[in-house]
Amino acid sequence: MTKIDEAPAINTRQLCFLLAFLFPVARFLEAPRLFAVAAKGDLLVSALVASLVEILPVAAFLFISSKTDKTLFQLVEAAFGKWVARIFSLILCAYFLFAAVPPLFDAEKFSYAAFFDTAPTVFSFAPFFIFSAFLCTKNVKAIGRSADLCLFLFLFPFLGLIVMSVGESDFSSLLPIFSQPFTHSLQGVVSTKAHFSCGALLLPLLGRYRYEKGAVKKVSIAYGASVLFTLLFLAVFYGIYTTLAAREHYAFAKIAQYFPALTVVGRWDMLLVYLLTVVYAFYVCLPLQLAVDCFCQGTLLQQKTLFSALLNLAAFLFVLFLNQHYDAVYGLFTSTLSPVFFLFSDLLPLFLPLLLLHKRVKAGAR
Amino acid sequence: MSITPHIFIKNIRAYFCVSIAHTTCVKKLSKKLQNNLQSLKAALPAEDILSYEFFSKDGVGAAIVYADGMVNKGLIGDLVIRPIASLNLKKQAENSQKDEENNQNDGDRYEVNADLLQKSLLFPEVKEAEKIEDMTKEILDGNALLLVDGIEKGIVVGTKMLPVRAISEPPADVAVKGPREGFVEDFKTNATLVRKRLKSPALRMDVMRVGRRSDTTIALCYLDGICDNRLKDALQKKLQSIDVDVLPDSSYVTALIAPRKHSLFRSVGTTEKPDVFAAKLAEGRVGILVDGSPIALTLPFTLTEDFQSSEDYFVSPFMATLFRVLRLVAVMIALFLPAVYVTTQLFKMQLLPLGLMLTIAKSAREIPFSPSMETFFVLLLFETLKEASIRMPKYVGMSLSVVGALVLGEAAVSAGFLSTPTIIIVALSGICLYTVPNFVETGSVLRWLYLIVAGSLGPFGLTLAGALTLYYLISADSFGMPPLAPFSPLVAHDLKDAVAKYGIRDLDTRPKIYRSKNKTRLRTQGGNRDEN
Repeated sequence: MTKIDEAPAINTRQLCFLLAFLFPVARFLEAPRLFAVAAKGDLLVSALVASLVEILPVAAFLFISSKTDKTLFQLVEAAFGKWVARIFSLILCAYFLFAAVPPLFDAEKFSYAAFFDTAPTVFSFAPFFIFSAFLCTKNVKAIGRSADLCLFLFLFPFLGLIVMSVGESDFSSLLPIFSQPFTHSLQGVVSTKAHFSCGALLLPLLGRYRYEKGAVKKVSIAYGASVLFTLLFLAVFYGIYTTLAAREHYAFAKIAQYFPALTVVGRWDMLLVYLLTVVYAFYVCLPLQLAVDCFCQGTLLQQKTLFSALLNLAAFLFVLFLNQHYDAVYGLFTSTLSPVFFLFSDLLPLFLPLLLLHKRVKAGAR
Repeated sequence: MSITPHIFIKNIRAYFCVSIAHTTCVKKLSKKLQNNLQSLKAALPAEDILSYEFFSKDGVGAAIVYADGMVNKGLIGDLVIRPIASLNLKKQAENSQKDEENNQNDGDRYEVNADLLQKSLLFPEVKEAEKIEDMTKEILDGNALLLVDGIEKGIVVGTKMLPVRAISEPPADVAVKGPREGFVEDFKTNATLVRKRLKSPALRMDVMRVGRRSDTTIALCYLDGICDNRLKDALQKKLQSIDVDVLPDSSYVTALIAPRKHSLFRSVGTTEKPDVFAAKLAEGRVGILVDGSPIALTLPFTLTEDFQSSEDYFVSPFMATLFRVLRLVAVMIALFLPAVYVTTQLFKMQLLPLGLMLTIAKSAREIPFSPSMETFFVLLLFETLKEASIRMPKYVGMSLSVVGALVLGEAAVSAGFLSTPTIIIVALSGICLYTVPNFVETGSVLRWLYLIVAGSLGPFGLTLAGALTLYYLISADSFGMPPLAPFSPLVAHDLKDAVAKYGIRDLDTRPKIYRSKNKTRLRTQGGNRDEN
């Protein structure tokens, strides 16, 4: 079997912080607008449904972790053999590259909107790939530690932004609840699936996370906090922009600008936004990091540095060439290609517990 | 593989060379004083190695060999030469020989008893040495060697008196409250300063010699039963494996044991204060004292240590927390202010309020440089002035500060080369960095990097550079310790003494990150409110 980090790299606290502080940031950029487009005033209902759907793969992850210490690849290898496991890792690698596209596009457009008053070129975003290439060379332990750091990098700026923007928000615009047909809310779930797909991101952490007693309770609380942050942000967002919300790209960088004190002291809220951008940068790199990890598993190559450099170069070229077709590509990922996200982030984790029934997997179970 | 005659001869030569070298090293003394003196002179031909020959009362020859300037000659005269000169060594020897049944007299020579001789010396620090190699080491270390005719051993007398600087307050770690003693360059003084604070048998100092030419004394200090043994053993191995010509300072040890060759961040803690050193040992860390260096090393190291001062533990916890927050903010200002100033003007003017932006624009209107070039020049000027004022003689340095700060700065603004806000920004950044003296080296380099990134890539590049620094720190473990601990990985217990500083009563257990076996450090519970 492939040489991988045998020691548990992530503990329950770090898993909780990943869920509570890292993943929600992905939902602050374009997801609010997509919800508003589909569900309008019912965007909270839509977000709640999306979050409830996402609970299932998290629960499956915890269930498998409680039963076995095997990694995903060891599980597949035990059930289907070495070659299937390798092919599976390469497929998963391809999925992570695919899943990295929407956050990459979000990050690119967001960086232009929030960081430049001038007219930036696509090369202004190029440093991101250097950053990402560096992160991709690091192991899973670093992901856990970055989650620890996200506690501080997420919580203070997020609360700061909410405090500065909540006064400008008119929450009555969210009423009445269920004013839209439920199918619209479901449409919101489909179009934002790329932003609610943490189930797949957890899969490579199997076997690197050691299940502890009481983990279910802690993870439930963390996931609850994650949902709360998302709903709070969406409520404030819609409360500020109401009917204009469907047109507000990257409102995350703008919601606090109406805070009265800022008119005197300048856009200091942007410093909070920049801090949250650090968390977002960690998030965008996560699928790329996992893609490198899966690739190394599948090919038995240990040259992480080389592959991460090549992968990020390819990602940069992808962004460079498709930059002009942003709307078309983004539209594709949020509509036609949504089932791919469902398949890998929801269905795959839900079917994985079935592997535990296999006699060879059973033999190695806890 | 066949051995050619050439290789064979070479091997034979090598064998004999090694044998000869070995013989020289383990060569022992004879019973004749003059032969012994010659052997020692051959081993130590340097001109500053002196010998003084004298006789006992009954004419037995003796000599003291020492390195000039490293021994206390008064002590040697009073406590070594004078007692021996008044002894009848021959008679003493004959008496002891009568007592011994298996006495084997070497012809007509008497056998002076080394034990009796040692007891006759009025000196507590005395030991025997048999090999020439050991004797030369002791002499070079500053001790005197007593040789007596008829004894085939040398007697090492601990009369070392090296030139030592007086104990004073370290200039880079001044405290308004708390102890003011600082380490000096002498190892023994430093060891005493530590022992004075930790009068416990658990305090261990594993002494070793490092440096082929300098033969520097290094001590690995730890509290047995409190420090992490795995770390201690790993460090011991690392120190023993150091093979270097000369070890002039503890910074060499830092560089030689650091797990990363090219890291911008420190991986070993340093202190010049024995109270801080003792406190760190008591927390479960391991310390290293290096002879010739006033800077002691402590491991493992976390970045938060840089933001802590010894004074934090002698003022109220509220003040200490305030100071730490202040230092953290100051360092952030020092690192990012010039970069943010540049990037704001070039890429994101929205960050500044309109009034301030207009003021900056007004003063920068006629400056012939771009904001990034201008800030770059001012920072360069600042660093140059700083470097020059440190290296220059004190009085010239003072006038240089006046020239630099007033004349050059004022003239540059008047001439329209530089704008006043830029000078203010860089000066503020420079001052802020000095709130954390241990971070100055790293901070200066980071400030340059951030400035270049901000000027070329804008605020997004700057944010990524900050994120990259953080991620690097997340994964740059040294001796099993992540530099960002206890924040990442998060150790909630240790946050009590990280940025926030709790009261002493709340710090009743040792920090968890040091994996100490003995967890409790405070048993006094007390402190209840008045009964009334």
